[in-house]
Amino acid sequence: MKKIAKFISVVMALCLVACCFTGCGSNYTAENTEFVIGVSGPLTGAAAVYGVAVQNSAQMAVDEINAAGGLNGVKFKLIATDDTHDATKVAANYATMLESGMQASLGTVTTAPGLEYTKLSAEDNVFFLTPSASGDKIPANDNGFQMCFADGNQGKVAADYVNTLGIDQIGIFYKSDDAYSNGIYEQFKDNLDSSIKTVEAVFTDANATDFSSQITSLKECTFIFMPIYYTPAAVFMTQAKDIIAKDAVYYGCDGFDGLAGQFEDFSIIPQEVSMLSHFDSNATEGAAADFIKKYTDKFGTDTLNQFGASAYDCVYAIYNAMKAAIDAGEKIDVTISASDLCDILKEQFTGDFTYSGVTGNDIAWEDNGYVAKEAVKYTLKTANSAN
Amino acid sequence: MSSFNSIKWKHYANYIAVAAFTIVFAVLSLVGGLKTSDIYMLEKIAIAIMLAVSLSMVVGFLGELSLGHAGFMCVGAYLGGKTAAVLEPLLGEVPTLLISLLVGGAVAAIFGVIIGLPALRLRGDYLAIVTLAFGEIVRTVFMNSSSESFGGSLGLPTPRFDKNFLFIIAFVLVLGCLAVTQNLIRSKHGRAITSIRDNEIAARATGINVTKYKLIVFTVSSFFAGIAGVLYSYSNFTIQSTNFSYNYSIEILVMVVLGGMGSINGSIIAATLITFLDVKLQTILTGNLAVLQDLFYALILILIVIYNNAPALKGFREAHNFKNLFNKFKKHSPEHIHDDEAKWDRVPTKINMDEVLSVDIQVSSPYTPDKTDKEDK
Amino acid sequence: MKFIETLINGLSMGSTYAMIALGYTMVYGIAKMLNFAHGDVIMVGGYMIFVTMASLGNPILGLLAAVVFCVALGVTIEKIAYKPLRGASPLAVLITAIGVSYLLQSTAQIIFGSAPKMVNVADLGNVKFAGLTVPVYILVTLGCSMVIMLVLSVFVKYTKTGRAMIAVSEDKGAAQLMGINVNKIIMITFAIGSALAAFAGFFMLMKSPSLNNTLGAMPGIKAFTAAVIGGIGSIPGAMLGGMLMGVVEAISLTIPAIAPYTDAIEFLILIVILLVRPTGILGKKRREKV
Repeated sequence: MKKIAKFISVVMALCLVACCFTGCGSNYTAENTEFVIGVSGPLTGAAAVYGVAVQNSAQMAVDEINAAGGLNGVKFKLIATDDTHDATKVAANYATMLESGMQASLGTVTTAPGLEYTKLSAEDNVFFLTPSASGDKIPANDNGFQMCFADGNQGKVAADYVNTLGIDQIGIFYKSDDAYSNGIYEQFKDNLDSSIKTVEAVFTDANATDFSSQITSLKECTFIFMPIYYTPAAVFMTQAKDIIAKDAVYYGCDGFDGLAGQFEDFSIIPQEVSMLSHFDSNATEGAAADFIKKYTDKFGTDTLNQFGASAYDCVYAIYNAMKAAIDAGEKIDVTISASDLCDILKEQFTGDFTYSGVTGNDIAWEDNGYVAKEAVKYTLKTANSAN
Repeated sequence: MSSFNSIKWKHYANYIAVAAFTIVFAVLSLVGGLKTSDIYMLEKIAIAIMLAVSLSMVVGFLGELSLGHAGFMCVGAYLGGKTAAVLEPLLGEVPTLLISLLVGGAVAAIFGVIIGLPALRLRGDYLAIVTLAFGEIVRTVFMNSSSESFGGSLGLPTPRFDKNFLFIIAFVLVLGCLAVTQNLIRSKHGRAITSIRDNEIAARATGINVTKYKLIVFTVSSFFAGIAGVLYSYSNFTIQSTNFSYNYSIEILVMVVLGGMGSINGSIIAATLITFLDVKLQTILTGNLAVLQDLFYALILILIVIYNNAPALKGFREAHNFKNLFNKFKKHSPEHIHDDEAKWDRVPTKINMDEVLSVDIQVSSPYTPDKTDKEDK
Repeated sequence: MKFIETLINGLSMGSTYAMIALGYTMVYGIAKMLNFAHGDVIMVGGYMIFVTMASLGNPILGLLAAVVFCVALGVTIEKIAYKPLRGASPLAVLITAIGVSYLLQSTAQIIFGSAPKMVNVADLGNVKFAGLTVPVYILVTLGCSMVIMLVLSVFVKYTKTGRAMIAVSEDKGAAQLMGINVNKIIMITFAIGSALAAFAGFFMLMKSPSLNNTLGAMPGIKAFTAAVIGGIGSIPGAMLGGMLMGVVEAISLTIPAIAPYTDAIEFLILIVILLVRPTGILGKKRREKV
């Protein structure tokens, strides 16, 4: 009989432990005193620079909104969770943020975890406007929107541009195991004139430090399309500066932004560097310059990039949309549930609502969640004319 | 009554504990008392337990170091996930789950045999690096698969099972895994396996078919890693091969080592605690505090390992441990039996064959594996 | 012509791997432990070069500072994290090594932030001969690694400490009875390994100016593979394994069809070599004793 007593005591102990787990009901926003916005991004690990930029900028936007009195006196709060660019960590982050009262979100910073987030948030109908998860499938459900260009669109626009250049051979350098890089690459290839020959080189390690083999492959190209992020791009350019022809052009997508900050002196790269993007971190005028000044005053130049600019815009876009909804007669109080707020925001974002900010003017959203704004070709650096 | 008392309850304690744990949480979940984040954590815990228990067979009982457990899991996850994605519209949820579990487990088991074969020829660290290499190869192949076959770099979309039930299914499968592993270990085959760990040459000399047992262990272990992989694919909407890197294998190894080599219960407890710690650190340390996650994790890891294993701390360990703490409350229990599981810090693994061999003339070291083992009995 | 360039690229990658593999192999040979934190010592060395370059601007001073700091770090890690576990199961040491690796990475992120740092060690330009364009840093890397390997071989073979190292790696107990201070020898080994890691960090930065807290992780694993291919515990083996890895990687990366599979190919070669020679190319075959 003693054994049975022991067994029962174990079960009792387990029940006690279990009781610690239980929480309140499903209405997590009932006790909110601020509007809560959540975001999940890589705050540590190899991709941390992007997540930290988003966290800093979003926090900056939230602070500004709060300093200006919030939304009808109600302040905002940002929760930034760390997913280390790992999709398996998203579910826990998402659930935790929801349980902390999250009402709207910026989704995820990167695409791979974003695919998970898209499905999770669709189940609960939680609104998200992602600053930088650019995968084509990210806004697959009607609760998701993007502030950045979708990869497929970027690839297509880039291909259209290259088709007009009239060159017969181009190089492509991309990261073959990366959703962002691959997504752009595939659409680019599909839309590229079949008469243009391509030379391709790939890499896989996020911290790759030696691109000499790839540079050897791409040596003869005078136009190199590089749909990659700026850190490996900087490494590539440094190593290639004397090997690739001096009048060659490096052409990248929005991942290139932040490149100039990687060099003490960008002019050591003799080639031309340009990109197709929505933000230039060297901007000297307009909203972008204001943002850059505010950001660098607070956080320095280390993490200044388009991810941050985009996140800053996302927070303001959500804020403006909420304000517009209130003006249109919707009732938004601080304890509104995530699902109710999502319906209101969806209506705004698919309606006439437009937003002008750091990453573009009169930004609108298509019904499928893709952003409609102008992609600008920024020339980060012209070719050194000395040679 | 006598038959009731004659059952060796100790042998069933962990089934009962896991089952009770499952029932409690299942009931809580069905009455809506569980938070979603806890449900996700329970899924992770179940998968971690299964991985740790299956790896424990290779590392703790067979004494071979494997750094490629995530590779087997990866095979299971992709094959099972693909099967599930194809069959779900045709067969419905539950039959699909069963079939994909079988497919994932079986394919992983086949890979277990393939990796088990070189294991017969390689020893210690060399085997460890081969398993690590295998895991990375598998991962790279799935990474570069076409988007129609296994999704490539965008990941393979897999059906997600209803979150209110998946963790229950996972824990039931953990029970199954426990049953198979424990019965194998406690049978005469299990004795043969541990004898290979303790001294392979002696085992061979006594007529034990080393080849056969090594293959059995690798197959069974990778089968359950495959099952865990299928569960993993069911707990995610998309599976991405980057998640199965050697770091994941190492994480599982940490659970096995912290739990105590050759102790299944230890693996279960360590897997639960480490997963709990991991998820809690991740969700509590948000924003600017996120950088502290790894710092805490690393410090806890180093301190626990040193506390548990440092020969110099042996006296301290014996004076201050949980057993003593419980004994204080228990006073004196005549039924108290020392568990017959091997003390893992005394278990020699094949990695340090040289050290084991030379250790008996090492004056300063109190580490005498063979003798202490015998003294215990 | 292109092939020769690829080959030279490969040798230069290989010499960095070899440098890291030498550290792995020496520590393994003597302390009988897999030092998973070795790759992260490279990263620390890199940051040290970054700090010195930022304040003093001289790459050679940076290298010196990195060597000194890494040696101190290596010895401290050994004292605090590995020495208390001497005599315990090697798996316990493996786990602390992993813990140390996490610890170094997160400390680096806390101190230096998440953004990669750019360090332009030195711009040495290119040399052209016989139609080949070869960056000078590749030649410097190759030359330095050769010299270091030679010095190391001579040191191990002909100095008293070196011979003591061989003795400890052969039989710790017997070495102790012969009056060798085993703890001291292990400490010296860690110091040498860490100094090599600092050199490897310098060469890596010379090639690629980008520095972040996971810099050493993948090269660490590749170098470990190289050490095993060459026969872990053998100094020329580490060199050979590293070069082989580098050349295979370089060739594979220039063939578009197999380039994405480069890592897999390297690991496949490892498996094949171990199946043919279970202790690596130059590894010593040990007779099992009961």
